[in-house]
Amino acid sequence: MPSDAHLILDGVRYRFPGDPLETVAGVDWAIPRGAIHCLLGRSGCGKTTLLKLAAGLIVPDEGRVRIDGKPLRGPAPGVGVVFQAPTLLAWLSALDNVLLPVSLKRRPQAPDRAAARDLLAAMGLGDLAERRPAALSGGQQSRVAMARALVTEPGLLLLDEPFAALDALTREELQDDLLRLCASRGTAALFVTHDIAEAAYLGDRVGVMAAGRLVHDGAVPLPRPRPPGIRYDPAFGAVCRSLRAIMDGAAPAIGRAA
Amino acid sequence: MRTRLASALLLAAVLIAWEAWCRSGRVSALVLPAPSAVAGTLWGELASGRLWPHLRVTMTEMVLGLLAGTVLGLGAGILLSEWPSLHRVLRPYVLASQLVPKLALGPLLILWFGFGLTPIVVITALICFFPLFENTLTGLDQVEPAQRELFRMLGAGRVRTLLRLKLPSALPVILAGFRVAIVLALVGAVVGEFVGGRQGLGASIIAAQSVMDSSLILALFVVITALGMAVYEAARGLEALILRRYARD
Ligand SMILES: Nc1ncnc2c1ncn2[C@@H]1O[C@H](COP(=O)(O)OP(=O)(O)OP(=O)(O)O)[C@@H](O)[C@H]1O
Ligand SMILES: [Mg+2]
Repeated sequence: MPSDAHLILDGVRYRFPGDPLETVAGVDWAIPRGAIHCLLGRSGCGKTTLLKLAAGLIVPDEGRVRIDGKPLRGPAPGVGVVFQAPTLLAWLSALDNVLLPVSLKRRPQAPDRAAARDLLAAMGLGDLAERRPAALSGGQQSRVAMARALVTEPGLLLLDEPFAALDALTREELQDDLLRLCASRGTAALFVTHDIAEAAYLGDRVGVMAAGRLVHDGAVPLPRPRPPGIRYDPAFGAVCRSLRAIMDGAAPAIGRAA
Repeated sequence: MRTRLASALLLAAVLIAWEAWCRSGRVSALVLPAPSAVAGTLWGELASGRLWPHLRVTMTEMVLGLLAGTVLGLGAGILLSEWPSLHRVLRPYVLASQLVPKLALGPLLILWFGFGLTPIVVITALICFFPLFENTLTGLDQVEPAQRELFRMLGAGRVRTLLRLKLPSALPVILAGFRVAIVLALVGAVVGEFVGGRQGLGASIIAAQSVMDSSLILALFVVITALGMAVYEAARGLEALILRRYARD
């Protein structure tokens, strides 16, 4: 395991109080600076829990999480998180929601506003900046949440199925936007998804999780940068098929029988 | 519009029936004065200016009591929601304090503060405390866990989380409590005056009772009801204004 990686999970275990089984049962993982790692797994296998462990929102029972070499003791500063639900504040406009990470620290200045507007525009929401979340569609809300995670230009992004509520076309556009943003800023990302093609398209590596364990962790043998057309490439299809086979071979979906 | 017309017609019908019943001479004016007599008394009180000082006293008690009760209820709700262990310790006492019939405290309060504004303001404040306290506590504890996590992730401390997340999301619930408190404040002020008031609408009712002026009592009822409705509507307007700024959905 490269010890200079940006995010390191080291034998991380976690059990919810009152739960007989471990939700995260010993995971080792390392994400180098600027790399995008995807985490695949069926519903309920512990992906969100692992992401929260990486974010420092919950503390592992055993093992350690390190970011930039420093062991994590609480919510990691300077890490952008996109939660599974958009969690927008209903009383703020889309723009003010994007600015929230800034406005919690200091009064947003003109450059902050400009950056937030640029991000919203990049998400295809340039015209909706003044709208309240209630007047946005579900997919638009997830995009606002995504812009909010990016506004502080974090070195590490943790994303929990951010595109799950989007149609296929918008999803592909946003995947490209994400790749572009991460590449230009050198941002590392842990991207949780249950969409195999999404993991194969975005990830430098893809991990497959089942019943709290990482049952597979392998590099994606596709070149970078990846043109959108690569999705129709036979090599891409092969990657997806092998990931699918790994998921099929993993533990059952319903319940968490060990 | 239709329904308004219907309720106006209903009122008119009741008043006419009442007037006719009184004029038929089957009931003494001492027991039940006719609406016209009540209206005459009301007009007399208004025109002579006798009513205004009483109205002012009752409104002062109401506003002061409401303010004090709101500040205390909101403050206590915030405090106990931020420190749940304190909440568990104090909860039975808060509940007990609300179960004591507050009017029964009247004589004691008069002993402490003397006759006048203070004991009535205290009673009103005690009555207004509870809806604000309960609703503040409920509202603050209802904040979505995912949003709390977001604020933790963004490094927001306790005060910031309270001001930027908890209070805004609890606002509709808190304002609903405030609306209840307003209605209770009027009841508190008027009934408080029954026990220990020298002036005010409630005290005037007691005074009218002692000279068996039932027409004046009814006129005062009308004034109190009108006052309550006006204040309630004002509160609703204020609430709509605030909620438009902090619209929830
Ligand atoms: N707060 C909690 N208390 C107890 N158990 C929990 C809690 N949160 C999650 N779990 C359990 O932990 C397991 C993993 O949950 P997690 O949210 O990590 O799944 P997931 O892989 O993200 O699923 P999905 O793809 O549906 O989001 C589930 O079985 C769930 O019931
Ligand atoms: Mg999840």
